[in-house]
Amino acid sequence: MDLNTIVRECLEGRQGAWETLMNTYAKKVFNLAYQFSGSRQEAEDRTQEIFLKLYNSLAKFDFQKNFTAWLLTLAKNHLIDEYRKTKWEKTQRDDFDERVLAQGSLSGPEESLVQKETRALIWDGLNQLSPEMRMAVILRDLQGRSYEEMAEILGLPLGTVKSRVNRARIALAEVLKEKRGELS
Amino acid sequence: MTCERFEELLSAYLEGELSAAEGREMEAHAATCSSCAELLSFLRETQGALRGFPEVEPSQALMAKLYAIPEKKRFFKPVFDFLLRPDLQPVFATFSVLFIALSFVFFLPQGRGIQKAINRQIHLGYSQVEKLYAKAGSVTDELGSFKNTVVDSFKALSPSKGQEDKK
Repeated sequence: MDLNTIVRECLEGRQGAWETLMNTYAKKVFNLAYQFSGSRQEAEDRTQEIFLKLYNSLAKFDFQKNFTAWLLTLAKNHLIDEYRKTKWEKTQRDDFDERVLAQGSLSGPEESLVQKETRALIWDGLNQLSPEMRMAVILRDLQGRSYEEMAEILGLPLGTVKSRVNRARIALAEVLKEKRGELS
Repeated sequence: MTCERFEELLSAYLEGELSAAEGREMEAHAATCSSCAELLSFLRETQGALRGFPEVEPSQALMAKLYAIPEKKRFFKPVFDFLLRPDLQPVFATFSVLFIALSFVFFLPQGRGIQKAINRQIHLGYSQVEKLYAKAGSVTDELGSFKNTVVDSFKALSPSKGQEDKK
């Protein structure tokens, strides 16, 4: 079913429309919140708040616009605002689940161990980035958004988005280098 | 190529967005600059690790809470709906104006002046009433004495009647 139709049905209070919207977006928004905050509990709270906001502002949605980008903009704004209010950087990120870390296409046990360690270091390193840089790298490299979509979500020119992603990646690479230095 | 330019073009290079000539320039720079070559290697590793993060499933409990959002809103809506009735708007407007006026009187420093002025007016009004009451009292007294005078005058005007009575 077309997304705009689902949104219209939600506005009319049609049975099952909200559930369909949740099935389409809950995982995406939850993952964005989890990757951004690093804490499962925090992510669950933020996801609920984001969808509550969505429910309250659904009537304001402009059907000429892209719904996914609109929802992700709402999610991004909420996550960054809450981050500024509560300063999550002072809190520790959850230990990344080893079963999750071990997933992916790995060629051997040695590579698996190195990748596991790298992912754990990168996961912790995300907290050392500013909220804007963290959001940029998450949208591009973890969520796989195109630069054009990101420009719409972040409300920035394409060139600024590209340069922000580049700076965020370099900062993360520096964090990895530093952490590797500490470990060896 | 400078190291700054190399850093600026890193993501575009890794994503294959550079022209062949720019790509060759990047490779030539990395071959001569060990710190940029190291950065490129760490960046490749970082990107690889980021791409490998799988998506996490939201819990059933969270999904149940998300599904229940419209129900929750529907439950709370009728309770406060009566407050949003249009015919209550003038009442809210009147109360708002009253509260704003009262806040001027009670919370602003200038409000104390207003309070004093009100007190003065009340006292003036009270003293006016007291004066009126006092005047009214004196008028009653005067009326009483006037009545006595009139009675005495009548008595004095009819002496013959008094003598007849004696007889």
